[in-house]
Formats: sequence, C-alpha cells, structure tokens
Amino acid sequence: MGPELHTIHGHRAVETLAAKLRRRQVVGSREAALETVLVLRQVVSRARFSNIQQLIAIIREVGRRLAEAQPKEHTVGNTVRRVLHNIREEANSATKAPSATTSRNVYTISKFVLQGQPRKQTASVPKSEAIATLREDDPDDPDSFARGLKPVLMEAIQDVLDELETVYENVSKNAKDHIHSDEIILTIGHSKTVEAFLKSAAHYRNYTVIVAETGPSYSGHDMARSLSNAGISTFLVPDSSIFAIMSRVNKVILGAHAILANGGLVAVAGSLLAATAAQAHSTPVVVCAGQFKLTPLWNLYHDYGALDFADPSSVLGFEEGKLVERVDVVNPYYDYVGPELVDVFITNDGDHPPSSVYRLIKETYDDDDHEL
Amino acid sequence: MHPTRTKQERRELQERQRAAKAAKTAANGVNGKPQGGKPASQPAAAGGAPSRKAGRVSDAASKLPPAGLAKAVEKAKAGQSSAADQSAKNQARGLLIFSHFGLPKPVSSAKGDIHPVIARTALQFSAFKITGANARCIATLTAFKTVIQDYVTPPNNTLSRHLMTYLSPQISHLVAARPMSVTMGNAIRQLKLDISGSDIDLPEQDAKDALCRKIDTYIRERIIIADQVIQETAGNKIKDGDVILTYARSSVVEKVLLEAHASGRNFSVIVVDSRPMLEGKRLLAVLSDAGIHCTYVLLPALGSVISEVSTVLVGAHSIHTNGAVYSRAGTALVAMMAKRHSVPVVVCCETYKFSETVQLDSFTKNELAPLGDLFSSFPNTKPRESLTLENKPNLEILNPLYDLTPPTCITAVVTEVGVIPPNSISSIPVALGRLL
Repeated sequence: MGPELHTIHGHRAVETLAAKLRRRQVVGSREAALETVLVLRQVVSRARFSNIQQLIAIIREVGRRLAEAQPKEHTVGNTVRRVLHNIREEANSATKAPSATTSRNVYTISKFVLQGQPRKQTASVPKSEAIATLREDDPDDPDSFARGLKPVLMEAIQDVLDELETVYENVSKNAKDHIHSDEIILTIGHSKTVEAFLKSAAHYRNYTVIVAETGPSYSGHDMARSLSNAGISTFLVPDSSIFAIMSRVNKVILGAHAILANGGLVAVAGSLLAATAAQAHSTPVVVCAGQFKLTPLWNLYHDYGALDFADPSSVLGFEEGKLVERVDVVNPYYDYVGPELVDVFITNDGDHPPSSVYRLIKETYDDDDHEL
Repeated sequence: MHPTRTKQERRELQERQRAAKAAKTAANGVNGKPQGGKPASQPAAAGGAPSRKAGRVSDAASKLPPAGLAKAVEKAKAGQSSAADQSAKNQARGLLIFSHFGLPKPVSSAKGDIHPVIARTALQFSAFKITGANARCIATLTAFKTVIQDYVTPPNNTLSRHLMTYLSPQISHLVAARPMSVTMGNAIRQLKLDISGSDIDLPEQDAKDALCRKIDTYIRERIIIADQVIQETAGNKIKDGDVILTYARSSVVEKVLLEAHASGRNFSVIVVDSRPMLEGKRLLAVLSDAGIHCTYVLLPALGSVISEVSTVLVGAHSIHTNGAVYSRAGTALVAMMAKRHSVPVVVCCETYKFSETVQLDSFTKNELAPLGDLFSSFPNTKPRESLTLENKPNLEILNPLYDLTPPTCITAVVTEVGVIPPNSISSIPVALGRLL
C-alpha cells in the first residue's frame, strides 16, 4: 500500500487544503487547481524517495486525499494527474537512453495506443546504455536520486503552475478571430474564462452580449456588470427568455466546470437550456475552458448526485411558510451538456472539437492515473 | 443658379444641425438615464438620423456627378459628421435590435372621460395585480358591463352607433396600461358586433340589459364552460402514478389538476418557475393546499427533472393559425426540452384565444416587464447589492414576458371543441361554425 499520509513531509499543508476544500472555502476551479499545485510543490520538495515509484505513490496518496475532500471539484484530481504525468516524463528522460526520445518523431498507431503507458515500456531499456548520472535505489546514498532529480521535478511543477496562471491570457489569444463585428453573443452565468475571452475580443471588435442571469444564483448579474464596465454593450435577461431571443443570437459561449472524457461538459445550471435552444436554431455553441478542466472520467453524469445540489432556500425560502414542509425543492448547481450539443472547445492549448477530447486526455494524462 | 443645388445645400445644413442635436442627446441619453425607455428611443433616433443623413449624402453625391464643388462640400460634411455619428451609432447599435419592444409606459392621467371602473382596472393591469389572459379578459368585460349600464345615449343618437365611439377611449386607456391581449381583442370584437347588431327599437335600458346578458353569455360559454370541458378532456390524459410537469401558472391547467385530483387520481406535479414573474409559487400554494404532492424547481434545473416526467401540461396566451403557441416566457424552453426527451406536450387552451394571425418568432409581438423587483422574485438570501436592478451605461435589462413555442414542439392542443394536433389549429373557426 502507499505511504501513510502522516509520514509524508508537508502533510500539514495537505490537511489544510483538504479542510478548505471540504468546507468549500476554495472558490473557483482555477483557485483549487492553483492551491493544489502549490501543495504538491511543497510535498515534492520535502519528499524523500529513492526511486520514482515511491514519489509517485506519495503524490497519488496526496491526490486521493484532496480529491476525497471535495469530489465535485474535479480540477484538484486533474492537477495531480498533470503533475504526475510531467514528473514521470522528466524522470524518464533523466534516467533513460536518449535513443528512446528520437523515436518519438515517428507517429505510428502502436505509438499512439501505447502513449498512455510509455513508462513501463521504456523502463526495460538497459541502463548500461544510459548516460544518466542518476541511479535509482542506490544503496550507498539513498538520497542521491532524489537530490539529483528534484530540480528537474520542480521545473516540471513550475510548468504546470505557469500554465495555470496564464490560462485566461492563452484562452483569449484568438478571441478576435472567433467573434466578428456586430455579433450578438449569448452567455450564461459568470465564468471568468468567458469574461476574459469577451473582454479581450472587445479590444478589436464591437459587438453585443446577452447575459442570461441563471437562477437561483443569479451570477449573470455580476457578469453583466463586469462586461458593461469594460465597455461592451450588454443585455441582461432572465433564463425564461433564452428561447425567445435565440433567433437573434449568432453564437453561444459557455463556460465549463469540468470537461468529461466523452467530450461532454459539466457546466452551471441553465447551460443545457442554452445549448439545446442553440441547437434548435442551428446556432454554434462554443465552450471556453482551461485545459486543467479536462477530466479523464466517464459516466459522471449518470450519478444523480454528480450535479452538486445547492441550498434550496434560495428557490423556496422559509418566508413561504407552510409550503416549505409540503413541497420538494430541487436545486442542482450544475447541468450535464452532452457532446452532441457543443461545437468547439476553446482551451489555452488551442481549439478542439468534442470528438477529439479523448485524444487530448490521452496526451495530457497517464492511463495509470485515471483512478488515483 | 441651380435650383436643386440651393435646396440641396439647405437640406444638408438642416441635416447637419439635426445630426449634431441628435448626437448630443444620444450622448446624454445613454450615459445617465436610469429608466429603460429613454435610452432605447433616443439612441434609436440618433442611430436613425445619422444613417439617414449618410444615405442622403451618398444619394446627393450620385445625383450631381458633374457638380464637383457640391461633391467636395458633401464629402467634407460626411467626413466631419461621420466621427460624431459613428460613436452614436456604436452605442445605438446594440440597443436598436430590441427597440421595437413596447417598453412599459407609466399610465398617464386619464385623457378625456374615463369611467372610474376602467381607470381602476387599468391600474390593476399596470401593477400586475390581475395577470393571465383569462383573468384580464374577464376583468375587462366586467368593467365594460358597468360602463354600459352607466351609459346614457346622447340625444339625436342611437345606442348602436354611439356606444362604440364612447367605449373607444376607454379601450385605449386599458391598452395604454398594458398591451391588449388576444383574448381581450377577441372579446371586444364580439362586443362590437353585438352592439352594432342591437335592435334600434328597443328602449335604452332594455338594449343595455341585452348587451350585458350577451357579455355574461360570452364569459360563461367561451371561458367558464370551455374550461370545464377542457378539465374533463385533459383530465382523462392523467393516469395514476403520472408525474405532470407544468410551467408558471395557467388558470386552465390549475383547474385541470385540481379536477383530476378531486376525481381520485393519484399523481404528482412538478412546477417549473422562472423570473420575471415567478407565478408558479401561487400555483404551488393552491395545489399543495389541495393535497397534491408537488416539487418546485426553477427553470435552469429543468434538465435534471425532465427524465422523470410523463406529461407536460401548459397553458397559452393565444394560439395562431400555424399552430404556434404564444405563452409565458419560458414555455418554449419547457416544450423543447420535453420534446428532446420524448415527453408529450399538451397545451390547454380555449377557442376564444385563437388568433387569425401567423406569428413566426417571439419578437413580432412581445411585452417587457417593468424593471426593478416588482414581483419580489429574487431570493431573500441574495444580497441586493449583488443584483443589477436598473439600467446602467452599456447595460440594459430586458424582461420579455412572452415567447412563441413553435408547432414542432407541441404534441396536442386541448380545446373545448376537441383535442387538435398543432398543424390543424387553423380549422378551429370551422369547428366553431365561424362563430369567431
């Protein structure tokens, strides 16, 4: 079994973050991802290991702990998987033969199928060919492996951190190519990624945004205020009029909470209405999300509880008196939107149709890590 | 001296002054006004004026090609004004697309002789105390009964000719409060027919009584009894163990559900509700008082509950010849989601709501709710500072009250003359023997 949590150095930081996640004090997927990376960086910097498998076991234990604290916050697990993927890559390039790296240029079907599991394969390369100065499980100096590898690992983790910090800029890079002049865009709720996207496009184009305030959180109000303060002409409409105005809308831009492995997404409640209405009017649906939201999990949506229900008193409050005890109230926070309703995902790593999400997942994460 | 040239120059000068004034009012109108009405109309005017001017400048340029001097003058003017009207146009563009929506105007003080009953009814309409197509029609007709009883035919005139001219300003006052519903329109048309057909020889009181009796008959036959027939027909569609979904509050659907429950059927109801009016809460109170098991959700949660629904029952404001149903905003979304999940959508609608027109989308005719929290529709748990309740620069709030459900999303329409598929709606007048 993996190492016990309390033996991991830096476990206090892990506990703190787990507590914050459990109490939902970390607000926003990107914040959760950033905090996770920082905790992992602490853990790795203080970890003691003599071969790479030990380090991976440590990180997986940490990841399992954090993911259990808040199972609906998928970016925590995604970040852990990303870090694991980077670490494996760095470790293997530091310890294995250089000839293995040149064969990467040849892209064959077998290469692609094995892409998720290259580590097991290349581990069989005889170490005698390696020019590596690192030796695993050195009996004389058990820390030499860790010492030599740590700078490289820190760099790998820093890469993940940099990517997370520049998510908004990279997603908005090509915003002006996606939005034309005089377009009418519909968006729903308050997504920071979509907000950055629209504001970046507003520097080059004049267009109109219609924001659907999604009840009962009414986060659309914040979005509308923020966009209008940036000089974009904005309309704020209630969700009931989404179908009514859809005939005038040129594009629907949604944010995502998580992108599932089948190309579907989990998004704020009301997104399914907007996406379905858009399909009925043949309007393109664009989803803006950072790549850290890619989740290698399937069938999350069959679980009724996957929708993460929120406080029913914002739907039917106690001021309604007798109704409260006689009536059931359902207040899901998220909607599952199927891949057939989405036309393109705009991520910080480029634009992808939902049919190629599985390939992105193969390239970003290792197959072993799907279940932490 | 070229006569057209001087006229041209005069016209250009006028246009320039008008554009300058419009640009100035546009700059004032968009920036500071809290009300929704003014910014929409003023930038619309500003947007209209510069574009008209630009059109005319190009027309003038093409009309007088040899007049090089005139062309140079026009080009200079075009260059000058384009900067000013470009910014006005930019601001105006976004707001223009919805500018034809009738924004609610405050009910002005009565012009001319408005009967106090009409004034009171108009106030009730504009304050949304009476809502719903049936309720408004009944209120209008009841008010007209009082007006007719109080009416005195002036000398040298007949009731059948003068009463209608007397009623016209009253009707306009009601329409100024809230745009006329199709039900009110059909009822008033029937009333006009009755008035013009009333017997000249009858003494005045008898004629007035006859009219009031006709109004009562109309209400009884087209609304009350029609509702009873619909209750039975639609009630038969509800079986034990069904989960019925309804949206907002329709008086007909409420009656159907209460009747079905009273006749002993065991079913549960999901009430879907949404801003701006949040009418579903009233329906919820009535249904749960009657002992029906209810679930209450807001519209965004529809995707999570639709898979458990067996039938969707909705009401209508009016139905059109192409089978489209004009109903409370949000009904189209409910019908569309239900169709996607293969749930039948049944519209309960009396025949007097039938409109001869064809409506293609929700923009042709719609009404905006007044801004602000008129219906107390925001939850108490939400702090008011985080909400946007009034227009700001670059931000306009729209609350359309109605939308159009296309006939493809509807399975059947239940009326008092039968259950009709949506593409046969145009046969309703035939079914009624052209009584419409």
